[in-house]
Amino acid sequence: MTSWTLAIRSLRFHARSHLGSLLGAAVGSGVLVGALVVGDSVRGSLRAMAISRLGKVELAMASNDRLFRQKLADDIGASLDATTAPVLQILGTATTGDADARANRVHVMGVDQRFWELAGDPPSFSAISPDSVVINRALADQLQTKTGESLLLRVRKPSALSQDAPLSPSEDTLVAVRLNVQAVVSDSEFGRFSLHASQIPPFNAFVALPTLASRAGVTNQANLLLIGPKRGEGNTAITLDSATKALRENWTLADAELKLQELPNGNGAELRSDRVFIDSPASRAAFAADSEARGVLTYFVNEMRIGERTTPYSMVTAMGAPIVPEEMAENEILLNQWLADDLGAKVGDELTMAYYVVGLARALEERRETFRVGGIIPMQGAAADPTLMPDFPGLTDAENCRDWDTGFPIELSQIREKDNAYWEEHRGTPKAFVTLAAGQRLWGNRFGDLTSVRFGDQAVGTDLERQIRDALDPASVGLQFEPVRESALAASSQSQDFGQLFLGFSFFLIIAALMLMALLFQFGIEQRTSEVGVLLALGFKPGKVRLLFLREGAVIGIMGGLLGVFGGTGYARAMLYGLSTVWRDAVGTSALSYHASPATLIIGGVSGAGVAILTIWLALRKQARQPAHQLLSEGPADESPSLSGAGWTKRRTDLISRLCLIAAGGLIVLTGMPEGLAGAETFFFAGTLLLAAGIAQCASILTSLGASGTSAKIAFAHLAVRNATRKRKRSLATIGLLACGSFLVMSIGVFRLESGAGAAKRSSGTGGFALIGEATHPVVQDLNTQSGRDSFGIDSANLAGVEVVPFRVLDGEDASCLNLNRAQKPRLLGVQPELLAKRGAFTFAKVVEEAPLEDRWLLLKSGKQATVVPAIGDQASIQWALGKKVGDTLDYTDEQGNEFKIRIVASVANSILQGSLLIDESAFIERYPSTSGYRMFLMDAPGEKMEIVSKVLSRALRDFGLEIEPAVRRLAAFNAVQNTYLSTFQVLGGLGLLLGSVGLGVVVLRNVLERRSELALLLAVGFGSNALRWCVLSEHGVLLLLGLGVGAVAAFVAVLPAVIAPGAQLPYVSLTLTLALVLLSGIVWTWVAARFALRGKLLDALRNE
Amino acid sequence: MSKSPPLLVLERITKDFPSLSGATPVQILRNVSIKVSDAESLAIIGPSGSGKSTLLNVIGTLDRPTRGSITLEGDDLAKLDEDSLALVRNRKIGFVFQAHHLLPQCSVLENVLLPTLASDLPNRIEDSEPRARRLLDRVGLSARLSHRPGQLSGGERQRVAVVRALINAPKLLLADEPTGALDRASAENLAQLLVELNREEGVALIVVTHSMQLAKRMRRICELTDGDLRELESTEGDKL
Ligand SMILES: Nc1ncnc2c1ncn2[C@@H]1O[C@H](COP(=O)(O)OP(=O)(O)O)[C@@H](O)[C@H]1O
Ligand SMILES: [Mg+2]
Repeated sequence: MTSWTLAIRSLRFHARSHLGSLLGAAVGSGVLVGALVVGDSVRGSLRAMAISRLGKVELAMASNDRLFRQKLADDIGASLDATTAPVLQILGTATTGDADARANRVHVMGVDQRFWELAGDPPSFSAISPDSVVINRALADQLQTKTGESLLLRVRKPSALSQDAPLSPSEDTLVAVRLNVQAVVSDSEFGRFSLHASQIPPFNAFVALPTLASRAGVTNQANLLLIGPKRGEGNTAITLDSATKALRENWTLADAELKLQELPNGNGAELRSDRVFIDSPASRAAFAADSEARGVLTYFVNEMRIGERTTPYSMVTAMGAPIVPEEMAENEILLNQWLADDLGAKVGDELTMAYYVVGLARALEERRETFRVGGIIPMQGAAADPTLMPDFPGLTDAENCRDWDTGFPIELSQIREKDNAYWEEHRGTPKAFVTLAAGQRLWGNRFGDLTSVRFGDQAVGTDLERQIRDALDPASVGLQFEPVRESALAASSQSQDFGQLFLGFSFFLIIAALMLMALLFQFGIEQRTSEVGVLLALGFKPGKVRLLFLREGAVIGIMGGLLGVFGGTGYARAMLYGLSTVWRDAVGTSALSYHASPATLIIGGVSGAGVAILTIWLALRKQARQPAHQLLSEGPADESPSLSGAGWTKRRTDLISRLCLIAAGGLIVLTGMPEGLAGAETFFFAGTLLLAAGIAQCASILTSLGASGTSAKIAFAHLAVRNATRKRKRSLATIGLLACGSFLVMSIGVFRLESGAGAAKRSSGTGGFALIGEATHPVVQDLNTQSGRDSFGIDSANLAGVEVVPFRVLDGEDASCLNLNRAQKPRLLGVQPELLAKRGAFTFAKVVEEAPLEDRWLLLKSGKQATVVPAIGDQASIQWALGKKVGDTLDYTDEQGNEFKIRIVASVANSILQGSLLIDESAFIERYPSTSGYRMFLMDAPGEKMEIVSKVLSRALRDFGLEIEPAVRRLAAFNAVQNTYLSTFQVLGGLGLLLGSVGLGVVVLRNVLERRSELALLLAVGFGSNALRWCVLSEHGVLLLLGLGVGAVAAFVAVLPAVIAPGAQLPYVSLTLTLALVLLSGIVWTWVAARFALRGKLLDALRNE
Repeated sequence: MSKSPPLLVLERITKDFPSLSGATPVQILRNVSIKVSDAESLAIIGPSGSGKSTLLNVIGTLDRPTRGSITLEGDDLAKLDEDSLALVRNRKIGFVFQAHHLLPQCSVLENVLLPTLASDLPNRIEDSEPRARRLLDRVGLSARLSHRPGQLSGGERQRVAVVRALINAPKLLLADEPTGALDRASAENLAQLLVELNREEGVALIVVTHSMQLAKRMRRICELTDGDLRELESTEGDKL
């Protein structure tokens, strides 16, 4: 005989009465386990998605606008003994053959067999034929197309020279390719391939690599290199280090778009770039390879003028020896004979030069600079060198000046016959020379400040190429491997924790289940008062007695935990079903699958059992407190306090009630009434206070009713109310549970985010912008200017009153609530902060250092240190998607491979800026010079013109894949996530309330059973049994109504702002339904309990006395 | 009787209960004094509602007196805290109630051993089990060890309750109308048993009873009326 034997014996004997508690414990644990399993499932699904989107790819090198040789992949693959695949990845748009359906942001990828070898499952086709395209499921669905139909893909030709660069040609960089759909690949066949973590599948179109490369004019080049293990091999150790080493061993200057060329006439060699301007890391490497090397910068000038005579459109070279003497002053210029003749120049004349520089938004700015003619040189030798002109696309190949494509306006009428003749004979031979210092000052730009580096004779013999390569870090020219698999797994494992989220949502349900369990357990024990009494009489200490019962409770808790593990998996499946159907907005995907790790089940079961045991322990604390003799003779006594005690209790509860009431009223009046400023939070808080006041008032009423002396006339209704007061605490607990539950479920709706109201205000989540546009291809023209609009053939009348704030975009991960993964490197947007500051757009949530209200956007310009770039983002994105806070920093790598930090200096509240971080445009350009143009636009448009503006712009910029939507709608999509969470909470909270109403039934049963003899007496003195049932029903109906009523009134105050807000759409129907259901369930349970308790021969109870 | 200090001494015990309506409490026991020696037997008789159970509860430390002192084996019980009182109840006092109050879920043997679970000393159970078997054998229940109380007759249940009260070898056995719920024959049987055990186990016995038959078997008889305890003359009839 041990305490455990006793516990087991008791459990078996009282099994039936424990069944209810066990069910309660099982429900509590089940909901807890289920919530955790939902977390597992979301994480597991994201992990599965990560694995399917990356297949076997371990490392990837995405060089974006920079192109490397496809052969580099072969060479690295051989070195590493791994599968490597070169990919040409270009963003494009796709339309069906009949142009009915359209998809923007299509990832068009030129791939070959090696790509498919890296897929998780090998696809069904052997190779993509040259005139075909393979698309993924998402694109097929978007286009409503299938195998055999034709597609038109429009991609932007990758050009070495950024479209933002000076002298970049404006030639149509879009190519359209018509292809037949050869196959639709499934997700596991790499259909989901993407380097970015998102649960929303991308649009992918796969084309044969040679086809895409040649159509895009970049034959044999690629911009994405994937590495994975060899077929049939597991995870061989392909490390980032080994890949980087292989890259360094195998790359050539061509992979950095550089070339080393012999100069004519054995004059040595020079380094040039396909990008025209040589990246500064490359030029530094060139100087490191040969200390004698000299820089050259040749630029296109619009006009040179001496007095009235002008020469149009000429090349001018800035350099040193052998042409420009070292001692020449910066303001001096040397003219060749032809130019001197043309201008009639002589030494000492003043020459004015006009040239274009590119400002922000590709705004061309003509600048002028004055030089003094320092000399005139003959056109021979080094001075007659046409190779001094870099390979300007659009110029180099032109036979005739009239064929020039310069990307900026050229007055053809100014070009004289002699100019054309010069071009035909001398091509781009510079007509004038200035010092390198002067040239770099005038024409240096973010792409570089040299067009060539020239090496001396003595250097040419040596292995120059090798030396330059060795001195150049491939990362600094955009060639860098990323451990994509590692970060993908990190992104999924650090994803939004739905386990915690659902634990929160299910909180009330768990509480209700546990309360029910405790209630039933207590009930069971109170049926055994004499057992308690005898144990006490036998010399058990009260604590020991409680411990004995706790053992029983522990077994129930543990069994409940075990049952909960089974039930919980079912609950999780139900929640997952909900998430992929009615609550789909919260996850944005229906592809969630069930995952549960043993650890989660164990942790869930153990904590479920633990919480149940703790609850039982709390419920037991009041047990075995009464004297043994009383327990042995009568059972538990009423809690009706003595008169004096009641007075005190009543005074106390009254005081609490009044204080809460005053605080609630004061809160609203003080903070809000004058300007109608009281925010939703204020009202919510006031509502909470009101709830407390209501419950305290109920307590006070119960106390005073309970203590009032025997009234002379026992009206029947009185009897009911009086009865409710008998078990004051029990009644109060019921009222409290129902009140809190109904309050929570109803008032939580106030946090529903409304996107419609006040959307036109600058302070709203739309920033007051009417439209938001996103383009697939960068738009370099300024849509605010006449010329910009003209270049798209837009009738300006349509755009009257329209202003556009353009954003540069560095693709990264979506860090909005629409992405469940923890974003590792969110998308960066470059913007001119002044444009937002002058509008006072958006509302700031947090600011790292106090800045004047109107200047907060200018914080983006505050970080003057070279290594830290200030950024502003959406508060929700920063907090949830990034797991950061204002003041934190993120690591980024710029285009040249330099690490830098982005520091979040402020956040805006609940806005369309979710998902990205905003930085100053000039900082953006500095870090990512070759990311050209603008791809996101916020637009101001008069309300009534919104539709036409959006139509006109989308049509005009169709080839850029511009998608425009109302900012309100975008905000609503973000809000839908939070609103769905709230709905989930309401649904689960409603379930909890239902369970709570079952608890009411239990209370009824207890009350009635304890009073059987009293009720029997009433029967004996002539009350009808129907009347008795009504008595019981109305007595407990009072509790039900009081609880729901207090909750509802408090909730009404809490949601008042939402109710009176114009255009508010409260879920009246679902709320009323919930309340009605709870009321109904409460009544049903009360009725069932009353029936059950009053059944049998009541009068027997009397006789037993 | 006078060689050693008495087992139990009650001095001027008063017990008040707060009244439901009025402010003046109701006095149930009034200056009750009595001495009980080791192995003595005493019957308390009196009309219903006279406070017999209240007195027994006070003696058995289940209730505290309003005034007056109780000394058990020289210890002033008023000075002990609840936990120490529980220990006193467990070790020195045995209870038999009108209702048997056996745990329905436990067997006869387990019910008897129940008091040994109250303390945390590990070896008590091993020591107690032979004693439990011996005592159950003594009361004629050796064949019923693993029966449940529900399978026993009323008299048998009450005998189990008696054994349970004796399991920890108490000094004092308190019985509150132990035969009240029994038929005549069983009552007679139990009365006989109590008397015998009083002698064999050397335990002092205080019995509250309506039955003069039972009372007469005790060495002393006291009557409680209106809160006053008055000792009737010693009965010699049971001394044989
Ligand atoms: N806990 C209590 N509170 C108030 N009155 C009590 C309490 N217990 C007993 N009484 C009263 O004390 C009186 C004596 O009761 P009791 O000792 O049970 O009498 P007896 O056992 O002699 O029949 C009774 O009138 C009873 O109503
Ligand atoms: Mg009595």
